[in-house]
Amino acid sequence: MAQNRLTRFLRNEWIYIVFSVLLVLFPHIVGGITGSSPFGVQRGSRFIMSGAAVYWMSILIDIFALSVLVMSYNLMFGFTGVISFGHAMFFGLGGYLLGMVTQMTGLPPDLAFFVGVALVIVVSAVLGLGIGFATLRLRGVYFAIFTLAVSEMVLIYFGRWAVTGGEDGFALSTIPVWIDAAQSRINLYYVSLILFAGTFVFIRRLVNSPAGAVFKAIRENEMRAQAIGFNTLRFKLLSITIASVLAGCAGIIHALLAKKIGPEMLNVSHTVDALLMTIIGGVGTFTGPILGASGLTLADVLLREATITIGSLTIDIGDSWLLILGLIFVLVVLIFPFGIVGTWNRLRMRFARR
Amino acid sequence: MLKSLVPTGRGSVATSVALIGAILIFAFIAANFSPGTFAITLLTGLLRAMLLFLVAAGLSLIFGLMDILNFAQGGYFMLGAYITFDVVHPEAGIMSFGSLIADPTMRFAFAITIATLIGAVLGYVLERGLLRPLYKRALFQLVLTFGVSIILLEAVKFLWGPSPYSWTVRLPIQESQFRIFDTPFSTYRLFVIAMGLMLMAVVIVLLRRTRIGIIIRAGVQDPEMVSALGINVRAVFTLVFTLGCALAAFGGGVAVPFLGATNSLGATFLLASIAVIVLGGLGSFEGTAVGSFVVGLGWAAMEQFSARPEIGTVLASMSPMLLLALVLLLRPKGLFGEDR
Repeated sequence: MAQNRLTRFLRNEWIYIVFSVLLVLFPHIVGGITGSSPFGVQRGSRFIMSGAAVYWMSILIDIFALSVLVMSYNLMFGFTGVISFGHAMFFGLGGYLLGMVTQMTGLPPDLAFFVGVALVIVVSAVLGLGIGFATLRLRGVYFAIFTLAVSEMVLIYFGRWAVTGGEDGFALSTIPVWIDAAQSRINLYYVSLILFAGTFVFIRRLVNSPAGAVFKAIRENEMRAQAIGFNTLRFKLLSITIASVLAGCAGIIHALLAKKIGPEMLNVSHTVDALLMTIIGGVGTFTGPILGASGLTLADVLLREATITIGSLTIDIGDSWLLILGLIFVLVVLIFPFGIVGTWNRLRMRFARR
Repeated sequence: MLKSLVPTGRGSVATSVALIGAILIFAFIAANFSPGTFAITLLTGLLRAMLLFLVAAGLSLIFGLMDILNFAQGGYFMLGAYITFDVVHPEAGIMSFGSLIADPTMRFAFAITIATLIGAVLGYVLERGLLRPLYKRALFQLVLTFGVSIILLEAVKFLWGPSPYSWTVRLPIQESQFRIFDTPFSTYRLFVIAMGLMLMAVVIVLLRRTRIGIIIRAGVQDPEMVSALGINVRAVFTLVFTLGCALAAFGGGVAVPFLGATNSLGATFLLASIAVIVLGGLGSFEGTAVGSFVVGLGWAAMEQFSARPEIGTVLASMSPMLLLALVLLLRPKGLFGEDR
């Protein structure tokens, strides 16, 4: 019996197992190919982060953070059918809270780090729950408006607040050495990999659980879910609270990698990223958000330096990246409303039926 | 689906009057009980109300008819402002043909016409090209208008750069001032207030007294029934959408001489106009008219209030969002709205 379950598990999940092994070994593989050390170059007791392995690790950390953000957005938008335009607020507040606790309280770095993380989780949960409680009884569009208004207010406030350096933000300098991106990036890599994999497994289990069935019922028809006897408000609040906490954690990783926090972390562009990557990857699919996040991050990295010349007009892609993203966004909504994974699943189902 | 264009009973009128009264008292306190400052605050509030109305009118009718909250409406306002600025200041921008008209007033009028036309064309394109294919999927329409608002913002940044412009060509009408209680107020602003009131009257007469107005009002009540009567409801949708976007671009054009062309215009006016239509009650046009007075006066009073050093300017720039959040929390059905 146990043997049977194991083989079934291996047969169903082999692709995820292969990917996990690849991601765990990734720094060493890249290091081996390019002949650079994933630990950086040692100078006395300190390490200097240089070399191809370190560079590619930072791109993957970026992808992990973004994937967690997009997966959390997908839990709300794709599986529960709740649309929020303020997800960037949770992402940015994650970074800001961690930064403020580690930089401004004077606690020892290790303690401050864990207090910061705990605070991010508690505050995101309370804030998500509060916003949801205040507006979710109303029609879906009110929630979208309210989240946009609140996140714009938070952005304006942090852009002017002298304590956090206003428009310029502040640097993260007193981070414990074991997770400092400038000292031991490989540790940060594994921490974000754990968060990423954990989020993926957690969301899959949640959506496939009875609670997940209620989420999907709410997405399809909230009135009907209510008529069956579910307290739909409670389930929507659960979905939003989880998504808010995950977005805050994604913000922590982003801030740890950048080692700097500023109001741009609260910018609506992070909400756009989350929305766009959910739609491009596939709304309401498990792997879609990851494909969307990694595809767009890689495109951004590769195209940042590129320029297009049409006649006398030279367009710098890096500068107008958001404009291009917006255009892609509109095209995908019009042409592939189910995204990469959604379209793939539909095609597969159509062929299987024949 | 029942939406009403008429005020629902005496209760909503009484609430509106009480609300405006409370705002006037707050404005008087914010003005430190000085009649001159109070009058200027009121005029600024009326000016804001008119600009908000120009954005919110389209937003409200589009929402009432098509159930789409057009997040790109603020983008049209911003685009109107930039185009008008650009045509009037040929040396600064990309449309140098503005220099063909020597007289600044004529050039300004021409610039506003161009901005309104471009707004109308882009509104038509958005409705016909992008929204119509998505009629069965409301969530995606909302997401799409949000995407278009980002494109408009980024396109403006791409064409004109991220830094704000302030108006430098002096128009004769801007130079002339009049005084109330020894405090100067620009005649141009008074002119904009008068024009806004006139447009408000025109739209209300259009809705109440003309055939197309009857069709629009019927469409707000029940688009399927209207279409069953043999009227091409889709064409009415397109018309209203185009007019709404043109009005927003026109609003941006008349506002740019005193607000300047900045990237944040779109988001600020979008959120404040959403506050207007939510406060007025989604789908109620009279509600939108009353709502723009309440939000416009409230915004100006809050700005006056935050001019005090102990309050700080953060409150002033947050006030449209703050008003919106308060309205959503306290009166989500709006003054003239019905349970939907």
